[in-house]
Amino acid sequence: MNHFAEPRNFAEVARYLVALWRREGTLQFLRLSSTLGSEKSVAGEMWKYGVVFGLLSFAFISYMLLTEGGAAFNTSSDGINWGLAVSTYVFFALTSSGLTFIASLSMVFGFREYYAVAKRCIWLAIITLGAAFTALALELGHPFRMLWAMPSGLQYLSPMFWMGVFYLIDLVLLLIKFDRLWHDDWDSPLSHFLSIASFVAVILASGMLGLVFGSMVMRPMWYGSFTAVYFILTAALSGTAAIVLATYLAYGFRHENMPEPLRSMASGKALSKVIATLSGIALFSVVTRLWTGLWSNLDGLEGFHALVGSPAFHLEVWAGLALPFVLMVTPSLQRQPRWQITAAALVLPAMFIDRHLFLVTGQAVPMFKGAWATELTAYVPSVTEWAITVLSVAIVFAFYGLGEKLFNLAADPRHKVRESAEEGNLVLKPVPAGRAASPTAPGAAS
Amino acid sequence: MAKWGMVIDLEKCTGCQACTAACAMENNRLPGEQWQDVVFFTEGEYPSVQAKWFPRPCMHCENPSCVHVCPVRATYKTGDGFVLVDWNRCIGCKYCMIACPYGVRFYTDEKPLVGPDLKTVFKSNDERSWNPPWKMPDARENWKRGVGIQPRGVVSKCTFCYHRVSKAPKGVADLSEHDPETREYTPACVVACPPTARYFGDLDNPDSEVSKMIANKNGVRLLDQLGNKPQVYYLTGSGGAVPSNRAIRKT
Repeated sequence: MNHFAEPRNFAEVARYLVALWRREGTLQFLRLSSTLGSEKSVAGEMWKYGVVFGLLSFAFISYMLLTEGGAAFNTSSDGINWGLAVSTYVFFALTSSGLTFIASLSMVFGFREYYAVAKRCIWLAIITLGAAFTALALELGHPFRMLWAMPSGLQYLSPMFWMGVFYLIDLVLLLIKFDRLWHDDWDSPLSHFLSIASFVAVILASGMLGLVFGSMVMRPMWYGSFTAVYFILTAALSGTAAIVLATYLAYGFRHENMPEPLRSMASGKALSKVIATLSGIALFSVVTRLWTGLWSNLDGLEGFHALVGSPAFHLEVWAGLALPFVLMVTPSLQRQPRWQITAAALVLPAMFIDRHLFLVTGQAVPMFKGAWATELTAYVPSVTEWAITVLSVAIVFAFYGLGEKLFNLAADPRHKVRESAEEGNLVLKPVPAGRAASPTAPGAAS
Repeated sequence: MAKWGMVIDLEKCTGCQACTAACAMENNRLPGEQWQDVVFFTEGEYPSVQAKWFPRPCMHCENPSCVHVCPVRATYKTGDGFVLVDWNRCIGCKYCMIACPYGVRFYTDEKPLVGPDLKTVFKSNDERSWNPPWKMPDARENWKRGVGIQPRGVVSKCTFCYHRVSKAPKGVADLSEHDPETREYTPACVVACPPTARYFGDLDNPDSEVSKMIANKNGVRLLDQLGNKPQVYYLTGSGGAVPSNRAIRKT
């Protein structure tokens, strides 16, 4: 995909937009804005459909919440307290964490092959976290009250409090980090510090989200520190699937459209290996959790029996975890774009199913209120709850399209060296006596 | 300072639900949103089936998991043993409902648990979620203590009739409907109980009737293994039983 010159700050973006509006007139400006340019592009389509579906779903949700309030949801004090909106929040929050993990492979741990997707990961992590917060805000009774009640309450015993703190830190660090990458600062001490701090914050955030559930001893299907570890590992899996899908999507699922470092990466095994490893671990975790749940006589684990009978669960395990694992460990398939895309496209919905089933079956066993209930609590999300999921997906699509158009998401630290070399002005740093000369680090190229 | 607690004698409870009705009238509860519930269930299978019932208020736990999980400290424990909700702070995240092992909390903003929806029949014209014609006097409402008709988007629960009990004379060991001196400070469900199956008093006072009953009649607490340490004790004797944790048939 050809990018126009990447703006360097938002003031430049604003100046460009004003100039465009003056040059083209209001109607043409709106038309261009709706498709992100005069030429049809994947980014423009993502933006257009994202905005349309986002606005439609937001209008519907607003209408329902204003007219019916929380009654527009199928959650109930007598049954499932947390429904699809919370599943959506968990899915997107963990996907955001997973994307940060993938970015950290290059930026923290030095696996240089992953540089090609690092900036894209950071941008996607920001917008998926935004989508997650949106879903949560629409579910809460008083979302804005949280802004003053959490800092003034400082309930350090609450896992939810810490989850909020760490995800807020995560978001701020991601924004600063993206700003640094926007300005091609990949290697400064500040950039390194931000990468490490962001990695630590996201481990704590996703782990603490796991502990929101894992601390609940009265909900045996959730209870245990395993939940935090499971959340961290599966976050990495959904993040990997998201970056594979998003990268191919940006280039119209055409491998040959990708710029060089990305094309090399896609035709290699870098991301396939990660999907294979993590889907294998996730599969093992899901199956062992199911095994212990079915085997145990402990009251409150009956939801596992419901899982066995759930078609969605089998879809998740067989089509969403086992099949991608097989595809990505098969040497003849793991390098082929079509199978990488297939694996990622299977894993990502499977992770959504996993979040939802985890959430719902954990509550499906009635608490004391239902000690006399002989059935698990039934729950089918309402149209309004589904609209929240659609809105979150639309936000990700719209802002991914915008980011793809506005920023050079395929940038990596080597592109500065390449561009300079292509212009014939690659400068070698003066080498101190006694040390071998080598091409300079990106920061040294002028 | 007293540590208020309740004793419910299951041998005497007839399952008449006068406690539920009294609580609903005293605290303006919506139908189905019963802070004080009596839940009916069956045990066994035909021909050995038994019909049973179990009265269940908020346990006002000594170690309340709902308080610990609340990210904004909207739900809190007072020095004299009440677990209350500050409706001015509650963000409606429902984490306390997830964490309560006894299922005694209710979210206001949802489909009616029992129809018709009285929130639409008696529409509110202020911040309250509904406006019933029999509501308590405004002066008695206290949103910081979760007393009265709750606003939208918050969680509500039994307050042990905080608005009555908190006005009790200092140092009193028991609050009884049979004592004219303490009747008006006694929780509504205790006052209304026809067979006097409910007792309310200071659990920290060894001379209180409730402490003696717990000691002499082997008072038990519900789901004690979870460590919440309820301040509601049940006397089971030979005629009543605390139901099993969960009675879902294993397949």
